[in-house]
Amino acid sequence: MMEFVSLLDVTFFLLAGFGALVGIIFGAIPGMTATMAVAVCLPLTYALGLNNGLALLLGLYVGGISGGMVPAVLLNIPGTPSSITTTFDGYPMAQKGEGEKALRVCVVASVIGGLISAAVLFLFAPMLADFSIKFSYVEKFLIILLALSVIASLSSNMLVGIFSGVIGIWLSLVGVYSISDGGNGKTRLMADFMEPYLYEGFSLLPVLIGIFGISTILLEAEKGVKSELTSDRLKLGKGGVFAFSIFKGRFTNLVRSSFIGTFVGMLPGVGGSAASVLAYTQEKNLSRDSSEMGKGAPQGLMASESANNALTGGALIPLLSLGIPGDSTTAVLIGAFTLQGIQVGPLFIPENANTWYIMMTALVFANIVMFFLMFFAIKHIAKVVMVPKHILYPLITMMCVVGAYAINYGIMFDVWTLLIFGVLGYLIQKIGLEVAPLIIGFILGGQAEIYFVKSLESFGTLSIFFTKSPIAVVLWLLILASVVFSIVMSLKSRAKGRQDVLS
Amino acid sequence: MTVSKKQLVGLGSAAVMASMTFGAGVAMAQDGELRGNIRVVIGSTSTGGDTYQNSSIVVDKLAEQLDLNMKVDAVGASSAFRTLDRDPRGNTLMIFHDQSYLGFLYGVQGYENIFEKYTIGPTVAINPGNAYLVPKDSPYENLDEIIAAVGEGKEVRVAIQPGGVSEIGFSALKNAVAIEYPGQEDNLVAVNTGSQADKNQQLYDDQVDMIHGSVQANEQFTRLPEDDQKAMRFVWLTARQDTIEQAPEDGMGQTSREQLLEYVEPNVTVTMGDDENFTFDKEFFFLYNKEMDSGIVDQIDEALAEVYAEGEIQEVQKNSFFIPNFKPSDEASEYLKNKMSRYEEIIENIQ
Repeated sequence: MMEFVSLLDVTFFLLAGFGALVGIIFGAIPGMTATMAVAVCLPLTYALGLNNGLALLLGLYVGGISGGMVPAVLLNIPGTPSSITTTFDGYPMAQKGEGEKALRVCVVASVIGGLISAAVLFLFAPMLADFSIKFSYVEKFLIILLALSVIASLSSNMLVGIFSGVIGIWLSLVGVYSISDGGNGKTRLMADFMEPYLYEGFSLLPVLIGIFGISTILLEAEKGVKSELTSDRLKLGKGGVFAFSIFKGRFTNLVRSSFIGTFVGMLPGVGGSAASVLAYTQEKNLSRDSSEMGKGAPQGLMASESANNALTGGALIPLLSLGIPGDSTTAVLIGAFTLQGIQVGPLFIPENANTWYIMMTALVFANIVMFFLMFFAIKHIAKVVMVPKHILYPLITMMCVVGAYAINYGIMFDVWTLLIFGVLGYLIQKIGLEVAPLIIGFILGGQAEIYFVKSLESFGTLSIFFTKSPIAVVLWLLILASVVFSIVMSLKSRAKGRQDVLS
Repeated sequence: MTVSKKQLVGLGSAAVMASMTFGAGVAMAQDGELRGNIRVVIGSTSTGGDTYQNSSIVVDKLAEQLDLNMKVDAVGASSAFRTLDRDPRGNTLMIFHDQSYLGFLYGVQGYENIFEKYTIGPTVAINPGNAYLVPKDSPYENLDEIIAAVGEGKEVRVAIQPGGVSEIGFSALKNAVAIEYPGQEDNLVAVNTGSQADKNQQLYDDQVDMIHGSVQANEQFTRLPEDDQKAMRFVWLTARQDTIEQAPEDGMGQTSREQLLEYVEPNVTVTMGDDENFTFDKEFFFLYNKEMDSGIVDQIDEALAEVYAEGEIQEVQKNSFFIPNFKPSDEASEYLKNKMSRYEEIIENIQ
């Protein structure tokens, strides 16, 4: 087992660290993702060889997922789709002048999530892979449904929230029912003339950046420049000082969220964003003091960030023990193996023990490097909000446009998507619809449809959703609990609101 | 002002260099040649798949030979076609495989007749791994038993991705049943799924009896013990016997060439009628914008001919389980057109 140590050298660690750094930068720029970082560097692995190539790519992966927290907290733009729930509490904290504290909480949660999932990957990969294949279309649909049920508890007015969520799902269905998903390859929800643009529907990332980023910028622009030198931005660093004691009593949250992240990452096709959304709701439903969540509670950041970093280890489980990538980034990562002529499949770990240990080393090392890089750089990164808005926002808009153009290798319509959804996001908030439920509906809607249709196609009956397996029953109970909880919470807050008015 | 000798020499050589650069510029600007940065789009979005892998190998060598910057972009079929449509200069090229015309034959939206709409470039390689598998504990020992069972009225379900390479073997099988057991072909049922993961999952869920897969993606599963839920075995490789015979002796993973040959003709046959058997080699080839200068077509043909004459690329391809198969544009176009018409018959027969 120890012979792999002889394969490690300084270059290996330098590349893993360098990867983490570049990944963080990619993740932090709105519109650039971990997947892009890995895709851009994939051809380099030819020259680097497998071990060093993997060190670089895994570094990029870990860094890219982590970097997404920076714009999410400071600018209300999720740097990667999986950091969407980080904006819910991160941005309110930043507005209160607690940006630096929020980022430190995120970094600590991230490294914990990353390391827990790496440990789970190392110890249980083949066993968990066997468990993951018990999730057929039916169970995957129910997982998505569970994540969608979060819409109810996330919205301030349940009816409006659900309505927004349904609009989001509707938007996600625009485009082709792709044959690569087993569909019929026909487009729907559009007129014929739109087909050249909307064939593949609206791309996720431009929608996300548009609706969060551009609309925030529009709202700020509306306020004008006069609030430029108000005291709130000078509070930076004074608003709240970070101390590790903030994690006191949050251990369950961190561990639970990390496990949720690992678990969702492990299910191929469920997607990274579902992980942080699920972890966030579970914290909201299960913790005793969740009333502040969504208004700037560190516990929300912990749930979101530990879960999205736990994805890394989770998504590698099916990759290395079934040959099936768990998310979009590992789907690119698999190229590093095929380019080197190595098959990934159920026998990968036993047949390539050295590569396996090397990957684990790179993964753990990248997490540690990420932690130190970010934890100590944050003081400087957080100063981004000190930049005058009339300089900052045009810069961000430019980066968003470049990112949107680049995300699908140069599709101009993605830039239009960004702008359309920027304006839409602005209007939505003006007319009182809710952005978070809408975007969650958009992210999860497409998968929900495919798994629903495929379940019916394979099993031929609606009752299968209830009778498929014990796992399905458990998932139904969770969905039920989540819905009941949201209703109770909403009734309570309404009663409280009425009391406040009376007294 | 005095000008020293040294300065004069310097000035003179600068002038010479400038004129040389200029001259080179003129030479480069000749019509009918590739220049600048070349983007090669492929019909798959996956960077872990065979299209990307094979295209990388070919483009890498071609770029070296032509001394140009070339990059492979995994943009997917519909984006790739549209990108190619927009660029008649030759700065965008495309590499794809038989899906490009099979999608058209199956009437998939977004696919048109490539022989009318594009210029067909050279073929470069075959992926011999197109396969069909059953669970290791399946009651069916081989493909003949499956055809016989379907003929006797038993329903056999097959997981495929509709509308292309994954479906053509299924269509051929259905056609064979129709020939041998007329009227029984509807007992062979296609279950439309997406990725390889989805197809495998259908097998684990006992929703299908057979799946479409590949030697590359499924070989490890065939080496699992029978009591493992994930264990599978090959029943059919669609490639020609001749193609598999060109594979490296070691085969793929730990399945040797000799073992792979058990699943092709004459051991496994799928009739097309008239004493002809169905085979399908998944072939990769270039596609060009119709308006692109024919000089570029020749230039790429010649460059690739030289690359293949050197013989190094064949080694790289074989190591990655591809069968080298270079045919210059004209030959490739004729060959692929014939290939398409053979499969067109099958698809028409079963409709």
